[in-house]
Amino acid sequence: MLEGGKIDGRQAVYLSITYIMATALLGVAAITTSFARHDAWISSILATVLSIPVAWLVVKLSSLFPGKTFIEYQEEILGKYLGKITGLIYVVFFIHICSFMIREFGDFIMAAFFEDTPILVFHIIVVAMGAYTVRHGLEVLARVNQIFLPFIILSVVMIIFLTIPELDFKRLLPVLDTSPVNIIKGSITPLAWHSEILALAMIIPFLTKPDESGKIAYKSLAMVGFIFLIVTAGSIATFGELVAFMSYPFLNTARIINIAKFIDRLDPLIMVIWLAGGFVKITFFYYIAVLGSAQLFKLNSYRPLVLPIGIILVAMAVAVGENSIQIAHFLSHIFPVYGTFFQAAIPFLLLVIALFRKQGRTPK
Amino acid sequence: MTKKLVCLLLILLCIFQSGCWDRRELNELAIVLAAGVDSTPEGNIELTVQIVRPRAFGGGAEKPGGQPKENNVWVVSQEGRSILDAQRLLEKKVSREMYWGHNVIAILGEDIARDGVSKVTNFFSRSPRVRETIWMFVAQGRAETVLNSHSQLEITSAQAAGFMIRAGTGIPVMLKDLKMMLASQTTHAVLPCIGLTPSGSPQGVGMKENIAEARGKQEDSTQVHAEVTICGTGAFKGDKLVGWLDISETRGLLWLTDQMEKGVITVPSTEDPDRQISIDLVRANTEVEPFWDGENLWFDVKIEMDGTLLEQQSMEDLTNPQIYRTIEENVSRAIERRARQCLEKAQYQFEADILRFGEAFHIKYKGEWAQIKDRWDEIFATADVNIFIDARIRQTGLETKRALGE
Repeated sequence: MLEGGKIDGRQAVYLSITYIMATALLGVAAITTSFARHDAWISSILATVLSIPVAWLVVKLSSLFPGKTFIEYQEEILGKYLGKITGLIYVVFFIHICSFMIREFGDFIMAAFFEDTPILVFHIIVVAMGAYTVRHGLEVLARVNQIFLPFIILSVVMIIFLTIPELDFKRLLPVLDTSPVNIIKGSITPLAWHSEILALAMIIPFLTKPDESGKIAYKSLAMVGFIFLIVTAGSIATFGELVAFMSYPFLNTARIINIAKFIDRLDPLIMVIWLAGGFVKITFFYYIAVLGSAQLFKLNSYRPLVLPIGIILVAMAVAVGENSIQIAHFLSHIFPVYGTFFQAAIPFLLLVIALFRKQGRTPK
Repeated sequence: MTKKLVCLLLILLCIFQSGCWDRRELNELAIVLAAGVDSTPEGNIELTVQIVRPRAFGGGAEKPGGQPKENNVWVVSQEGRSILDAQRLLEKKVSREMYWGHNVIAILGEDIARDGVSKVTNFFSRSPRVRETIWMFVAQGRAETVLNSHSQLEITSAQAAGFMIRAGTGIPVMLKDLKMMLASQTTHAVLPCIGLTPSGSPQGVGMKENIAEARGKQEDSTQVHAEVTICGTGAFKGDKLVGWLDISETRGLLWLTDQMEKGVITVPSTEDPDRQISIDLVRANTEVEPFWDGENLWFDVKIEMDGTLLEQQSMEDLTNPQIYRTIEENVSRAIERRARQCLEKAQYQFEADILRFGEAFHIKYKGEWAQIKDRWDEIFATADVNIFIDARIRQTGLETKRALGE
């Protein structure tokens, strides 16, 4: 077994919440709003509902092949050669989206706080910390996240709570003003984010009780959906349709907090969310990329792969786009299709094939 | 051994943890408290900033013995093709790096407001250095003139302006509000107007006053103090300034947009028209409901107001319910008069919906809104507005009726 650690249900829920929500919090509300305007909060509910089947898919697949990760059971479903190829594609996919996360991580810090620092500094720091954590395995990451997540949630709740004086819920009216098509379009980007629940398929074998994976997936998605809903609705109630034109609406929301000229300038809370959440998210995808490739090549240990993949990640993070507009364009126009294809469409095909060929553990 | 080495390395690491590229030392910053933007005849913009002079701030207590008090800020201007361009050029004169995080207000000059404010608002919202909570103003005349002033009570005139606008003397507009109004499909923007007016005599010797009343007469230059003053509201159509609302019309605007928070309503007495009664506003609430029958548009505006009677020049008996009711009705009429003045300008002179009525319409008639949103300005200009006011005087201060011949 490549991974010796075990994580319990609570840790898995915490981990899934962080690795889905972290990067979605700041910017995705803008993408949703650019399609659905002030009905974006409906899109976010829709996205959560639509992500439930994806979670079901992931859980179902894993239950057919107990003790195996997503990369491993592809080989069983598709045969040795085809399975290896799709497995490789998935490892590349994980590395690719992980490098985007690293880029987003650096882009945001540069855009909002450290204007003059080279972006590479943030990439290297976060990947170096990630490499250290990955070497120590899933259990360590899950425990670190157990410490971080309460602070992240606390910061989000505090920001929303303190913006209450600025909220004007009339800005959410009239309800259903946008055409249903646009509301659905708006829900695709958050859906692509929610579909990252697929990554859970890589760690289900390491749960103390793999049978609970369904509960874990649904719980985390409900929590992520709820947080995303209050962040989207809160941003729109504060800024109206301006949200669509902002790079990081939630940052702007935090920046306008001013309680009696006493509690203000709370942008550091955003830093807490972004640094802690971003670190866990990046490290998690880094981990599954490393673990997946080790399983693909049937290595005895994944540790020799940590450094090479880390270097690839840092380089890719620079190479994925020339400027922040390109990154934003990828996230709003390409990732929704790209992400949903890999995170929902292919797993669906895999499940259909597996059921058709009557593979795996037969349901009782 | 290894542990010690690691410890040493970790300690060394601290030196680099503070950041190298983006470190900001307080004594290397020029803290900008206010910014003003004017246009130049060549079509460039002129940026004026009020920069804190740390030495003047640091002193604390004022120096005794009638020494010339120094101005707490340095007001400096620079022409440039954009605000950022001007700021960079300004750094040739300013020895420190400009720091915008504490900026309180931004003033747009009348010229640039008439040309279109969207030309210059972008810097303030795009740059992460400026906060979206700064107060926005439009100057009557040049922004640079207004900024070149000092305040008697506050440390700088920028802070004075910030305090005044927060106190509800004009229409409070933050950068984020301005952006929302400019982005709105129906609502047109408004900005509080700011200027310098003669305000008492100056309290410091040797301080330059920057108004016509004081200029030119050398010996008189310390006789009049010029204080920043909220002098009404600038109304915009699109991003262009189209006209002004005076103080009384601004009160009407505050009533109609449900932003009235503080104020005094003075009405003539019921028995003696030369004597007045003043009512201090406690709370107010305005609701706007649109009605649309396919051709005609009308609005019902319901205003509720609670106040306290705090000054009575005349002698009428307040314990008489009829008289009391008459005073309340007079208050209602006074409010309606102001609201009407504002409406008249918005509908007939500017033909611009500065009252957010379009938003109320959008919420109630979302289907019809799509068809008429492009013609909203015309439709708004011809709309009828019914104003219903329920003014109540809930308290009468420390007295009931006045003693006869007091």
